[in-house]
Amino acid sequence: MLGQYATTLTFIALGAIFAYSFYAVLIAGQLSLGQAGFASLAAFSGAYLAPSGDDVGDVAALLIAVAIGMSVGAIGAVVLGLPTMHLRGVFLAIATLGFAEAVRVVLLNQEWTGGAQGLGVPRVLTVGMAWTALALVAYWFWRMGRSRYGRALEAIREDELAARSMGIDVGRHRLAAFVTAGAVAGLYGVLYAYYVRLIAPNDFDFVAAVEGLVTAVVGGSTMFLGPLLGSGFQTIVPEIQRAVGVEAGWIRPFLAGLLLLVVILFLPGGLASLLPRRTRMPSGAADDDDTTGLAGRRHPAAGEPVITLAGLGKEYGGVHAVRGVDLEIRAGEVVGLIGPNGAGKTTLVNMISGLVPPSSGSATVLGTAIGSTPVHRIAAAGVSRTFQHSKLFNRLSALENVLVGAHLVSRPTFLRRLLWLPSARRDERAALRQAARCLERVGLTDLAASRAEALSYGDQRRLEIARALASDPSLLILDEPAAGMNHVEAGRLSELIRSLALDGLTILFIEHNVGMVLQTCTRVVVLNFGEVIASGTPDQVAADPAVIEAYLGSADDDADGGPLAGSPRAGATAAGAEAAPPDAVANLRPGAAGTLDTPDSTPRDAT
Amino acid sequence: MQQLLNGIFIGSIYALFAIGFTLVFGILDRLNLAHPAVFAASAFVGIELVERGGLSLWAALPIVFVFGAVLGLVIERVAFRPLKNRPDAHFAGLISSIALAGMLIAVLQWRYGPDTRRFPPGSFPDTRYEVFGAQVTLVQVVILVVSLALMVGLTYMVTRTRLGRGMRAVAENPTAARVLGVNVDRVTAVTFAISSALGAVAGVLFAINVNTAQLGMGAAIELKGLAVIIVGGMGSLPGALIGGLLLGLAEVFAVQYIGSSWVNVIAFGLLFVILLLRPQGLLGARKVREV
Repeated sequence: MLGQYATTLTFIALGAIFAYSFYAVLIAGQLSLGQAGFASLAAFSGAYLAPSGDDVGDVAALLIAVAIGMSVGAIGAVVLGLPTMHLRGVFLAIATLGFAEAVRVVLLNQEWTGGAQGLGVPRVLTVGMAWTALALVAYWFWRMGRSRYGRALEAIREDELAARSMGIDVGRHRLAAFVTAGAVAGLYGVLYAYYVRLIAPNDFDFVAAVEGLVTAVVGGSTMFLGPLLGSGFQTIVPEIQRAVGVEAGWIRPFLAGLLLLVVILFLPGGLASLLPRRTRMPSGAADDDDTTGLAGRRHPAAGEPVITLAGLGKEYGGVHAVRGVDLEIRAGEVVGLIGPNGAGKTTLVNMISGLVPPSSGSATVLGTAIGSTPVHRIAAAGVSRTFQHSKLFNRLSALENVLVGAHLVSRPTFLRRLLWLPSARRDERAALRQAARCLERVGLTDLAASRAEALSYGDQRRLEIARALASDPSLLILDEPAAGMNHVEAGRLSELIRSLALDGLTILFIEHNVGMVLQTCTRVVVLNFGEVIASGTPDQVAADPAVIEAYLGSADDDADGGPLAGSPRAGATAAGAEAAPPDAVANLRPGAAGTLDTPDSTPRDAT
Repeated sequence: MQQLLNGIFIGSIYALFAIGFTLVFGILDRLNLAHPAVFAASAFVGIELVERGGLSLWAALPIVFVFGAVLGLVIERVAFRPLKNRPDAHFAGLISSIALAGMLIAVLQWRYGPDTRRFPPGSFPDTRYEVFGAQVTLVQVVILVVSLALMVGLTYMVTRTRLGRGMRAVAENPTAARVLGVNVDRVTAVTFAISSALGAVAGVLFAINVNTAQLGMGAAIELKGLAVIIVGGMGSLPGALIGGLLLGLAEVFAVQYIGSSWVNVIAFGLLFVILLLRPQGLLGARKVREV
C-alpha cells in the first residue's frame, strides 16, 4: 500500500522540509525568497562534491552530501544575510529573490552543473529517509517554540522595537533565523537531488520559491506543524483531482488557485489554525518567591546616580525638541516628567532608553553611555520601559508577553530543550513563575491566557507595565501609563508605582494627569519647549509661577493664538482633571510647537 | 544607436509595467503579485480583439485599458479587501494575489490553449523611419508615445487632481485620511484599477513589440518589474520610469557585449548594488519608523 503512494509521500516530506525553511524566517517576521538559491547551491555542491555511492555506500554518500549541502546553505545564508539584514518586509523578499535568480543564472552558465541539461544524481532517498529527515526538522522547530529563543523570534515578528527594548539582540536573532533557513533549504536541496535523479538550475526558480512560501503560509506560519499541513495540502490536492478524473489542463491549476484563495481568506492562521492551540498557564503559586533559575541582577544602592544627563539635546531639522537638559536621577527616586504636549518629554525618554540618539550633550544611564549603544544593551544595563502607544506583542498571550519581558533574566533554553535536559524545564518554570508574579502584581493573573490584542485598553497598559517589570529592571520608564484610564484605575496605578518604589526601583514617568503625578512622585520635572523649566518636590513645582504659565498660558500667548493657550487640554490637566483626553488635540496644528510629540505612527513593516 | 533605441523601447514597456506595480505598493503598501497575470491576460485579449474583432491595434488599446481596470477592481475586491484588517495582511495579500494570478492564467489556458499566439499577419503598418541612421518602426514610436503619455497622465493625476490628493493622503496614513473624509475604500479600488489598466496596456505593447503572447510572459517580466521598482525606489513613479529605461538599456547592451545567457543577472546585479548602497532606491524616500 505504501509502495503505491511512495512518490506522493516523499514529495509531501520534501515539500514540507522546504516549507520549513520559509517557516524558519517567517516565525521571526522575515519574508525571504532566497531559499531556492540556497537549495540550488546545496543540491549542486552536495551532489558534485560527495563521494560516489560505489565507494562509500549509498546512504553514506547521501549523508555526506547532506552535511555539505546544509553547510553550504548556512554559509550562503550568512553571506547573503549580513548585508541584507537591515532590510525589512518586501525589500528583503525582493533582495533575496534577486540572490536566488543570480544563483540560478550563474549555475546555468557553469560547466560542472551541466547547465540547462542538468546534473545526474543517483536515486538514494527512500520514503522512510525523507520522513526521518522531516521528523528531525519538525522536532527542531517544535522544541524551539517554547524556548526563550523561539519566544524572542516571535516577539521580533510582532513588534521589533518593543523586542529590542526587552533586551533582545534583534540583529543576531534575525541572522540566526536566516542561517537556520539556509541550512534547512540546503537539506531540502540535497534530498531533492538524491530523489529526482536529474537536477537542473531551473528546478530552483522563482516558481519553486513561491511554491515554498505558499506552502508555509497556507499551512500556517505561527505553528510548527504548519509547513507539514501545507505540504500535504499542496501535494494531495492535485492527486485527488487526478483520482476523481479532473483532467482538463486548465481546471487543475484553477482549482488549486481557488482552494489556496479560500484557505488564505477564511483561515487567517493557515491550516494549522484548525488545530487547537494549547495555552500555557503558570503552574504553581505565583506568590512563591523562589527566584532560582533566574539570572541575578545587581541594582544600584539608594542614592547612587542612575541617570546623568549633561546638556542633552535633540534637534529635528532645526526644531529643538529637547534643548540642553541637565538632570540627575538617583536610585530610589520616583520622578514625574510633565509638560504640555510637544514639550519634548517622549523625545527625552526615548534618548534615555537608547531609541533616539541625542544630537548634542551626553548622558549616562546605569553606567552605560547612550548615543551609539544599541537599545538592547541599554536594556541589559537595567532599563525597562513602556510606550506611549502600547507596543505589545499582539498575537501572543498576556503571559507570553511577560515571558518575553523576562528575556534578560531567564537563561537560553533551546539547545537544552532539544536534548530534554531537566535543567531546561527548571529554567522555563522559573521564567514562568517570574512572569506570573509580574502579572499578579498588576492584577492580570486571570487574563494570562488572553491574546494581548484582545485585552481592554487599560489592561493593555497594565500588561505593558508587567512586561517591563519582568526583566527585574533597575530603572523603569513609563510613558503616559495612565492615559485613557479612569480615576479609579489611575489611583490603583499610582499605588502600584509607589509600591514598586518601595521595592527599590527607580521610576521615571511621563504623565498628563498632573494630580496623579503630584501624589505619586518624590520629584517632579517640568519640561516646556524642550527645556527644563522647573524641578523639585511636588509642592514646590505646583506653586512655581513658570509652570502655571506654561500650562495656562499668559495673555501674550493668547494674542498669538499659541498652541498651549488654545488647547483645552492644558487647562483641564492643570486643573487636576482625572484622565487626560486622548492625544491629538494639540497635534492638529502643523508648525506649532505642539507637534513635536511623536506622532501616532501606523506600522508599515511586514509583520 | 540602434541598440540605444531598442533599449528605450523595451525599457519604456518595463517602466509602464513597473509603474503599475509600484503605484499599488507606494500608496497601499501591498505587493500585488496578480499584476503579471493581468499583463499576460491583456496581451491575449488584445490579440483576440485584433484577430476576431477585426479592430485595428490602436482601437484595441483603449479597450484593453478598460479590461485591465476591471480586472484590477476584481483583484482588489477578491484578493485584498477581505484581508485589510489582518495583522499579516502583507503575507496574506501576497499569497491571495498569487492564488488569483494562478486562476487567471488557468482561465487563459482554457480560453486560448497553451500555445504561443501572435497577431494576425498584416496588423502592423510597415511605416519605418530613419533616426540618426537607425531603423525605427511606427509601431515602436507608438509604444514609446503611449507609454510616456500614460506615465505623464498618471503623474499629473497623482500630483494635481483631487483623486491623486486622496491617494497621497491614503499613502501617508490611511486612518487619518479616513478621518478627514477620504473614502479610503474607493481610493484603494481606483488605485488598483489604474495600476492594472497600466499593466494591461504594457502587456499589449509588449506583445506588439515581440509579436508573441505566451502564458508565461507575466512571470518573465515579474522579476524584472520587482527589480525596477526597487532600483527606482519603492513607490516612486519617476523612479520606476528611470529604473525601467535603465534596465531596458542595460539588457540590450548586455546581450550585445556579454552574451544573452547573462541578461537576467544584469537586473539583479543592479538590484543588489542598489539595495546595499541605497536601500530606499534611486528616487525613493527613506521611511523612518517612529516610536
